[in-house]
Amino acid sequence: MASMALKSFTGLRQSPQEQQHPHFIAQALPRQQKFRVSAAKTSPKLTNRNLRVAVIGGGPAGGAAAETLAKNGVETFLIERKLDNCKPCGGAIPLCMVGEFDLPLDIIDRKVTKMKMISPSNVAVDIGQTLKPHEYIGMVRREVLDAYLRERAEKNGASVINGLFMKMDLPRNFEQPYVLYYTEYDGTKGGVGEKRTLEVDAVIGADGANSRVAKSINAGDYDYAIAFQERVKIPDEKMVYYENLAEMYVGDDVSPDFYGWVFPKCDHVAVGTGTVTHKGDIKKFQLATRNRAKDKILGGKIIRVEAHPIPEHPRPRRLSGRVALVGDAAGYVTKCSGEGIYFAAKSGRMCAEAIIEGSENGTRMIDEGDLRKYLEKWDKTYWPTYKVLDVLQKVFYRSNPAREAFVEMCADEYVQKMTFDSYLYKRVVPGNPLEDLKLAVNTIGSLVRANALRREMDKLTI
Amino acid sequence: MSTSIDLLSFSPPPSSMLSRTQFSFTHKPTFLLSSKKESFFTLRASAADNGAGVSAPAVTVEEPKVREASEGPTESNGAVEAPEVKAVNKFEDPKWVNGTWDLKQFQKNGQTDWDAVIDAEARRRKWLENSPESSSNDDPVIFDTSIVPWWAWIKRFHLPEAELLNGRAAMIGFFMAYLVDSLTGVGLVDQMSNFFCKTLLFVAVVGVLLIRKNEDIETLKKLLEETTFYDKQWQATWQDETTSGAKKE
Repeated sequence: MASMALKSFTGLRQSPQEQQHPHFIAQALPRQQKFRVSAAKTSPKLTNRNLRVAVIGGGPAGGAAAETLAKNGVETFLIERKLDNCKPCGGAIPLCMVGEFDLPLDIIDRKVTKMKMISPSNVAVDIGQTLKPHEYIGMVRREVLDAYLRERAEKNGASVINGLFMKMDLPRNFEQPYVLYYTEYDGTKGGVGEKRTLEVDAVIGADGANSRVAKSINAGDYDYAIAFQERVKIPDEKMVYYENLAEMYVGDDVSPDFYGWVFPKCDHVAVGTGTVTHKGDIKKFQLATRNRAKDKILGGKIIRVEAHPIPEHPRPRRLSGRVALVGDAAGYVTKCSGEGIYFAAKSGRMCAEAIIEGSENGTRMIDEGDLRKYLEKWDKTYWPTYKVLDVLQKVFYRSNPAREAFVEMCADEYVQKMTFDSYLYKRVVPGNPLEDLKLAVNTIGSLVRANALRREMDKLTI
Repeated sequence: MSTSIDLLSFSPPPSSMLSRTQFSFTHKPTFLLSSKKESFFTLRASAADNGAGVSAPAVTVEEPKVREASEGPTESNGAVEAPEVKAVNKFEDPKWVNGTWDLKQFQKNGQTDWDAVIDAEARRRKWLENSPESSSNDDPVIFDTSIVPWWAWIKRFHLPEAELLNGRAAMIGFFMAYLVDSLTGVGLVDQMSNFFCKTLLFVAVVGVLLIRKNEDIETLKKLLEETTFYDKQWQATWQDETTSGAKKE
């Protein structure tokens, strides 16, 4: 019945859009729609104005979302509380992000082309030989990247507001807007800021791991890891080693369920570690990481200490009404590698694209069904990536023997090729089945050997 | 104490392994009482004693501790600081050369004694677990456990356990066959051609393989839950659709 109603309405519109509708109908009929009075395509054309969307949070997710929205005719407000925020972050972006988001190459401080994985017993494996000359992992400074994306959004017509989002009034019915309450800062340091309100039709929550938008829509909680990082300025001759090399340390001493790292940044290195289950011991893990890298960072001075939460899995509810969460606020950080920047930006863009499509470039009101399309597309495109990384984390970060096996496996060229291909281009590519079989056999072999050694170790008392 | 019991549980304890345990247990008290001279003596003995490849490594673990304590900071660490704050007793072993085990030093009867290599590596890892070391570019660790051939691993780890499990399976099989025969009068040959009995046999084999300790039952249950946990977290947002938009708390 709903489909028939749609078809009759579409008779009034131009033909190219008609082909879209059967496609849309198939997806717009979750059972919930039956309780709604109107679906998006039958919702009223907005008169005298375009769709108003507020993007809360001006990081990669917010910046990408605001740019896409503004470019396509939606009236966009980007609310960011700290425009010069120097965020604690690993700062690694995959190669595909540079192309997909047209990032200028001067944003990238360093191109990492080599990585060293170091096992609990200090077996060190170099990876990166399979990279082609144009492939690299980009290391960026967050303040530079975030500012660039925000400025681009502004250039495309978004209004960037320096303000802190406080709370939101949910609309009582379909016609009413969302009322946002925020404190606007006028740019003077230490200023108290003025309370303001803003009425919008839809909200994209891109405000990070402690998202207030998520709280407003009762999105639920997630488990999170604490990542702790120290920026260390090391002597120039030691910095040469880290010219384009990043290190990953695994071991129970460094982290019981994550890894410790040394990532090169513009002129210093970031030494850090993280954990989900033993947050209270994070300082101990950091000391252990520094100890493991001691030879290479000897003589370094700690210039900054920072910590931040990293979500471990998506929130139970990622959208409600015309409010959607993207990026860290939604919990789109992968397991095993803890990568979030690319997924934040991509989810911001995908959500914005869903809004554009559902509102036909800002001319119609949207509803929850349109935003659900963004969730569907996201889950369908990236679910394999997330699942594979989850399996890897469960298998290889389990215990010291598993980590030893992990580092041993990294020495294999096929593994390196598959890993980098999937990391740099964000696709899970099925490889050569014969090689996959060999890889499976080798993995099991490594795990068995490492666990056998562990049993020997348990018998020893030193 | 538990270590010796563990070893004795292997049905015929390989005599070399048993002797090694005893050796390492008795060696400890003597180490505490020994002077520097004695430890040096045992060190030299181990270097010359390639025949008893298994016993030699047991000695070398203690010697670095003695050396460092009595000789002062002559370590390869090269650290300039006073030892008390940054004291790291680096793992040292005469057979550990250039970041890997020198297989030539593990010769026994003209062939490499892989058991000794496995023991040595286990000792190294245990040492590092207790006192993690900095990973250095000057002497990188490049040892890969895959140089130990597959049959050495099987002989050492798989066979004793396989023997144990086969023994369990045989005992269960014999007892169940007897029980079923006495209850139903169906002989062994006829049992084998019965589908229900074949299923029971399969369950018994799988059970013996998977459940080796009491804790394994809990472990298996947790593993099963783990495999689908992440999926459920991702699907959580779609649960909303089927509850007609009712707000969940």
